[in-house]
Parts: sequence; C-alpha cells; structure tokens
Amino acid sequence: MRHVGSVAGRELRSLFVSPVAYGVLSLFSVLAGLFFILGVAAFDTWVRQLMQFQAFDQLKDLNLNDHLIANFYDTVSVVLLFLVPGITMGIFASEKTNGTQELLLTSPLTIWDIVLGKFLGAAAFVTLLVAIVAAFPALLFVYGDPELGKTASGLLGVLLVGWTYAAIGCFASSITRSQVVGFLIAFVLLLCLLLLPAISDLGVMGDTVGLGASLRWLATGEHFQQLLKGLVDTSDLAYFAVMIGSMLLLTKAAVESVRWR
Amino acid sequence: MIEARALTKRYGEVLAVDSVSFTVERGEVVGFLGPNGAGKTTTMRMLTGFVPPTDGSARIAGHDIFEEPLEARRAVGYLPETPPLYPEMTVTSYLRYVAKIKDVPRAKRKEALERALERCALKDVRTRVIGTLSKGFRQRVGLAQAIVHDPPVLILDEPTVGLDPVQIGEIRGLIRELASGGSGGQHTVILSTHIMAEVSAICRRVILINEGRKTVDATLEELTRGGRSLESLFARETSGVEATATSASAPEGAR
Repeated sequence: MRHVGSVAGRELRSLFVSPVAYGVLSLFSVLAGLFFILGVAAFDTWVRQLMQFQAFDQLKDLNLNDHLIANFYDTVSVVLLFLVPGITMGIFASEKTNGTQELLLTSPLTIWDIVLGKFLGAAAFVTLLVAIVAAFPALLFVYGDPELGKTASGLLGVLLVGWTYAAIGCFASSITRSQVVGFLIAFVLLLCLLLLPAISDLGVMGDTVGLGASLRWLATGEHFQQLLKGLVDTSDLAYFAVMIGSMLLLTKAAVESVRWR
Repeated sequence: MIEARALTKRYGEVLAVDSVSFTVERGEVVGFLGPNGAGKTTTMRMLTGFVPPTDGSARIAGHDIFEEPLEARRAVGYLPETPPLYPEMTVTSYLRYVAKIKDVPRAKRKEALERALERCALKDVRTRVIGTLSKGFRQRVGLAQAIVHDPPVLILDEPTVGLDPVQIGEIRGLIRELASGGSGGQHTVILSTHIMAEVSAICRRVILINEGRKTVDATLEELTRGGRSLESLFARETSGVEATATSASAPEGAR
C-alpha cells in the first residue's frame, strides 16, 4: 500500500496535462451555475406567487434547503452521471492500449496499490467538482439563511454519489481496452442504478421475496435522498461504502485477471 | 542471477512455454532466439512477474517469483516489446514516476533520474512530452525506464525492433556498456531478438526457443566454432532442416 499515493498523483496529474480535466471543470461549472440560477429564479417565482395568493401556511413551509438546495444537488448528481464516466473511462483502458499495464504489473506494486491509487485519483478530481458545487449554496448563506447541517449533509451526499460513480467508472474501464466502451459500460450501469426504484415500483417481481425492496436498496438515489433531507444515517453511509468497496473488489479482480489468463 | 526452473505456461489448450530451464550468471548477456510465437515473450513475462507460470518457478537475484514477488520484481528492469509509456507525460516526469514505483528512495531519485537520462542520451529531450517524440527516442525512454532503478537484471524484449541502423547501433552499444558495468553496476541482461547479427554483436550466450521448448543453450563461441553461421543453426533448429545454401557452402569443420 506504499504506492497508492504515487499512482493517485500520476493519475491526477495526467488529467490536468490533457484538456479533459479543464473541459470537464469548465463544462461542469457552467452547467452547475446555470442550474443554480434557474433554481433561484424558480424559487423566487414561487415565493412571489405564494405571497400573491397570501398562502401563508405554504410560505412558512417553503425554505431554501428543501426547495432550492436539495433540487440543485439532485440536478448536479444527474450531471455527474454524465461527467464521471468521462473522467474514468480511460483510467484502466488506456493503460492497456499504452502498454503501461506491463510496467505497473512488473513493478513492485500490489494490485491494491494500483486499484486504490487510480480510484483515489479519480475521487480527488470528483472532490474538486463537488468543491465547485459547494460555492453555490455558500452564496445563499450570504443572502439568506439556509440550514447549515442540511446543506452540508446534502453536499456530503453529492460527494458520496460522485465517489460511487467514480468506483463504477473504474470498474467499467478495467474490463475493456477501449475508452469509448469504458464510458458506455459505466454510463449504462449508472443509468440502471438510477432506474432501479422505477423498476422496483413496477412491483411485478414480487413483494413476496422482497426483491423490490432489495432493488430499491441498491439504488443510489434512495440513499442520496435521505442525505438531502438532512438525515445522516449509518445505513445510508454503509450503502455508499458497500458500493464503492464492492466495485473496487471487482476492479481488482479484473486487473488481476491478466495474470490468470 | 536468473534461475528458471521448468517454466511452463499453458493458455487453455495451447502450451506456450514447455518446461524451460536455464541459469544466467552475473554480467552475462544472453540472447533469446526463436521464431515469432516461439514463447520468448511469454518466458520473459514469467520472469518479470507479469504472468505467473502454470508450472515451474524462477529466482531473480535470489528471490523466488512466487515467494517474494515484490523483491523479485524490484530486481528487474523490463522493456516490453512496446515501450510502456504515458504519451501525455514529459520524459522527466515519467522517469521520476517510474523511479518512485520501483522503490528508488526519495533521496536518490534525482540522481537515478539524471543517470538514466545520461546513459540513454535523453538530456536534450528531458522536458519534451513523450507523445511528440520519434520512435527512436521513445525506445530510449523505454530503456531508461528499465534502468532507472539500477536493477541487477535487465530483460529486454526486442529492444531494437523498428529502429534505424544508427539507433540500433546506439542501443546495442548501451546494452554492451550496461553488461560490462562501465558506468555503474554490472547488469545481467536477457534480450530477445530474431536478428542474428544482434546476437553476434552483443551476446555471449544464446538460448534458442522453438515451439515453447529450449532447443539450444550454448555460448556464441561454441555455436560458431567451425565456421558455422547462426543463421544455419536457426534454420536447422526451427525447421528441422539445415538451410541448404549454408550447409552446402560450409560443411561442418570445413573452415
């Protein structure tokens, strides 16, 4: 495990010497900014309308956290669904096409050095994206009075969702030589996770065996929503740990598989 | 330095390497000869720890590849057939990274980097991005990568393939120098090739591999004794028939 840092550092630097990192950062900032402004505008309209109708009860329920920040975080998580596979698509695939896989596997590194190093490199980049996200609700603290705890737990949710996506992206990249395929596999897996609640709602596969509930548990969104509500529950945190851990285990197996062929 | 014991690699039904054993002493330069697909690369990959042997084992600088894989890998510098380069990195940052993952202590990294740049004549391109370098330079960066941690054992898979005659000469000179220990420690070198001239130019010993089996293991002197050419040996060992032209013009012991 001594070399996790070296591998992570190289991964992160490689993102920044190519246009990918700058492209993703710019696109992400623009999109996040756009969705934030749209959110603020919608919130503003809402407040005005409720004031017009003198619906004071509803006005009392309306707050920045549930009606602006949570929606914003939710939208950002969807943007990450598109961007994170773009960051991770080449993380293992390019090692195979460059032939550098041979360098890594013949160096005194363990497979975990490689897998964790690469995941942490990607996760660090995702963390940077989430830091950009944090800037927007921070503005609201200047002009309004949102709840700090809820804002932070939602942000933690975005971060965990991003890391989970990165772990899935790493796995997708580890089972192919092609970056495009790496992107597509990650994207399809992430879409499946997104659609799981809808599938379990169909109810066709039986509340009898609890399959619906299991599918629902697997969906990232379910646990993210809890964090958006400000509920930091161990079981939701455990979900993210389990997802990231199992994806990294699969990635390790995929990287190691060159050795058993 | 290198001790291969009955190395065997099976890919499904295909027996790629069949019980190959040999020992290479310190400072020796051994040429791995054999036609394409003979099992040269697979044998090298087993020695470097890239793929584990199905059967048999090997010791590199006294470390068993199964029992002490990290120590064994640390003792090897490996240049695969395609140099393992990150095209987006600069020469210096790439070699610094390799030095790091090859366990060169922090305090010695700068010195190791400078020495590798010097030996492979890369000083002029040190700040260049690898992707913009010519094939000859990339091959040299590949070689620099293999020697940056000053390993006792060097395993080079077709180190001169695709280079022009001048570059080939430079790389050969460098390999000779590494083996003789001219600048720094003495290295033990295994290199694979199918160019006979390369073998006679740098190797003192030849191991011929055909269809996964070791068929010849002798010094260059023994093999060329009596005026026989390596070409005829190669042709005979790989096809079972001695090349007619050579055997007609140079019968055994004629010269």
